[in-house]
Amino acid sequence: MSANPVPSAVAAGSLPLLALRGVTKRFVGVLALDGVHFDLRPGEVHAVCGENGAGKSTLMKVMSGIYQPDAGTIEHHGQACHFASPHAAERAGVVMIHQELNLVPHLSVAENIYLAREPKRGWFIDRTRLRRDAQACLARLDVAISPDVPVRSLSVAQQQMVEIAKALSINAEVLIMDEPTSSLTESETSQLFKVIHELRRAGVGIVYISHRLDEMAGIVDRVTVLRDGRHIRTMDFADTTVDEIVSLMVGRSLDDKFPPRTRKPTDEVMLSVRDLRRKEVFGPLGFELKRGEVLGFAGLMGAGRTEVARAVFGADPVDGGSVTLEGRELHIRSPIDAIRHGIAYLSEDRKGQGLAVEMTVAQNLTLANLAAVCGRGGFIRFDDEAKTARRYIEQLDIRTPGPHQIARLLSGGNQQKVVIGKWLFRQSRVIFFDEPTRGIDVGAKYAIYQLLDKLAAEGIGVVLISSELPEILGLTDRVAVFHEGQLMRVLQTKDTTQEEIMHYASGRNGTGGATSIAEGGIDTQAARGMDSIPT
Amino acid sequence: MNDRQKDLFQKFAALASLLALTMVFSVVSSSFLSVGNAMTVALQVTSIAYLGIGATCVIITGGIDLSVGAILALSGVVAALSVRAGVPVPLAMLAGLLVGALCGVINGLCVTVLRLPPFIATLGMMLVARGVALQITDAKAVGGLGDSFAELGNGSLWRIAKIGDDGFPDVVFPGIPYPVLLMVSLAIAVAVLLRRTGLGRHLYAVGSNAEAARLSGVNVRGVTLFAYVLSGTLAGLTGCVLMSRLVTAQPSEGLMYELDAIAAAVIGGTSLSGGVGTISGTLIGAFVIGILRNGLNMGGVSAFVQQIIIGLVILLTVWIDQMRHRR
Repeated sequence: MSANPVPSAVAAGSLPLLALRGVTKRFVGVLALDGVHFDLRPGEVHAVCGENGAGKSTLMKVMSGIYQPDAGTIEHHGQACHFASPHAAERAGVVMIHQELNLVPHLSVAENIYLAREPKRGWFIDRTRLRRDAQACLARLDVAISPDVPVRSLSVAQQQMVEIAKALSINAEVLIMDEPTSSLTESETSQLFKVIHELRRAGVGIVYISHRLDEMAGIVDRVTVLRDGRHIRTMDFADTTVDEIVSLMVGRSLDDKFPPRTRKPTDEVMLSVRDLRRKEVFGPLGFELKRGEVLGFAGLMGAGRTEVARAVFGADPVDGGSVTLEGRELHIRSPIDAIRHGIAYLSEDRKGQGLAVEMTVAQNLTLANLAAVCGRGGFIRFDDEAKTARRYIEQLDIRTPGPHQIARLLSGGNQQKVVIGKWLFRQSRVIFFDEPTRGIDVGAKYAIYQLLDKLAAEGIGVVLISSELPEILGLTDRVAVFHEGQLMRVLQTKDTTQEEIMHYASGRNGTGGATSIAEGGIDTQAARGMDSIPT
Repeated sequence: MNDRQKDLFQKFAALASLLALTMVFSVVSSSFLSVGNAMTVALQVTSIAYLGIGATCVIITGGIDLSVGAILALSGVVAALSVRAGVPVPLAMLAGLLVGALCGVINGLCVTVLRLPPFIATLGMMLVARGVALQITDAKAVGGLGDSFAELGNGSLWRIAKIGDDGFPDVVFPGIPYPVLLMVSLAIAVAVLLRRTGLGRHLYAVGSNAEAARLSGVNVRGVTLFAYVLSGTLAGLTGCVLMSRLVTAQPSEGLMYELDAIAAAVIGGTSLSGGVGTISGTLIGAFVIGILRNGLNMGGVSAFVQQIIIGLVILLTVWIDQMRHRR
């Protein structure tokens, strides 16, 4: 890929395909977009950058008709318009490709491309035309996918191509791509970029959202930075640097973003994991967690961080390995065992796996430790339960009308605090936090950061799994870097950089070329964990 | 309205419709509002209530139990055949209960261990249990069970009667039938279980979010299994009580009772998507169905029209429930 994009077919400066003027969107208690301006020219790739919670996805959803703005206008080819639904946006040629793909797995590629728009002959679907048209769409993308295979048999990258083909089939002139490369391999990514180049040449405007700033060089023409729901700056990609973009995104130095540290890491090993392995998923690997420290798990998606944490917690089976907590070897076969020994896991999928959303705040807080609020005969004592709930509501500053509020009605940050409260009430000694700040607004994030520090200071073992490198650098004392199910290296946070972490996370090996993880000197220590440490 | 108030509203809506039904029928038929008829209705409702209590627990976990009508037939038949084989009545009824519990265990294992969808697992059990009941009786009614077999279904507590001048007993107070007593104590016991014990809380947690419950240390398999065993056992009990009332065991008894049970739970506000439901609601639902049947019967409405009306009532209440959730 060249550093500078090929000039696109349509001259810059022509009437924008889509323009947002002063768009504001408010949710309960959160100003998600605050007077944002954005425009997209024909044949350009326009990146939108910002931290989680900066308003990127809200902006995309306003553009594609999923949300209606509370204030401001949208112009389509210079004319004010209103997308009442995603369908209306599609009719105007604005199509969004979601991060989680919207395909029907059991239907064929061709059937998916023309879903709900099937070519008909009389009452029946014209299968010949369906196939031929789908083939034509796929051919435009120059991808080798048969229109006849069911979508479920395709790789994620191929499914993404099918989504793009679907967009082309409705003559999309604006394509919104949300983190399109997040689950793609390097070669799949370059294939996708080839397709993006083709689309630019054909005059399609592309809104491109990605956390991977490095890969934007070569495909992105302009970049718009959002922060806390506000438009910060729009600039030509050629005139800026990744560093400038990052500093605009963060908007303040890392020091204010993370709370001061009150904890004092010790050398006392709390939790040690050795030789843990699960066939075809991760390992064997090992690590140790010291009292008073926050240990980070860094790596790309699918590197095995979540899987390792879930395995220690007993949520997934393992093929071998040992877990020792405070000198005692544990036999964990299910979360019930892990919880009894004081190990907790806070899932990255809060609504799917962390919270019983239809139950109340109080019921969620006591779920992992009901026995503690039960009186004689095993009956729940409601006054004890409410008292407990009030204690954690106050301690964690959970914003709720009261302990009997249904958890579903709380904001994301407060829901997360409820889940954290659940584990605190269980008197957990080691807590794995898996992406604890995902989907949480900036203020609530800071509160969670403070909490992690406080827990570590109180002697609770804290493992932080995060895909946000600033979070890893700002919050942890040591970082374990994972790549494809292997623990590449454990780094001292104060001595490392974003670049070094990415280096190991992408599977490259620092000590040069061919050293394999199992054989190389220092890597063996990291991968095997404890072998060289006397007990 | 917050959600709590909405729930109250929903419950009072069901209760209010129950009272409205009672009033309408009392006006239409003079004999409707009497102690005797109240006991009759209560007695008729008992079967739906026992099964509904079990169904509520299963539905709270996010499951469904279609097999209870067949299980009650099998249990009743087993109890009757045991009596005919010379087993004392209490032991024979216990055998009936155990058959129901066993069917529940099998249902629960199919759902938790074999991971079959509850609909399929209990549909299979429905066919198997009914088939076994018909096979072991040659599809014939089992009669000649004797007075002691009839006691559970027909006896009552505090029955006051004096011998009249004509020598026939004159009933002052018909008494509270044993099945009604059983219904009340079961309802209280299960309501307390659901509301005040860890197990009950865990039933709601599993239905609300099974994975979150598992990761919070809830024994999801055990809790789910319990719900099906309870449902099966209650079906077994229903079988014993029903056959005792009829003093005959019919292998074809209890056809479509599972649907009455589910309807009672749903009318009472239990959500088929799990995590929501109360015993008090289910009892109200059971009485709505029971009073509708009884009142319509007394009003001379045909059984076919009754079905139509009950069907419409179910659609209406579930629609109201959906509206409540969509708001």
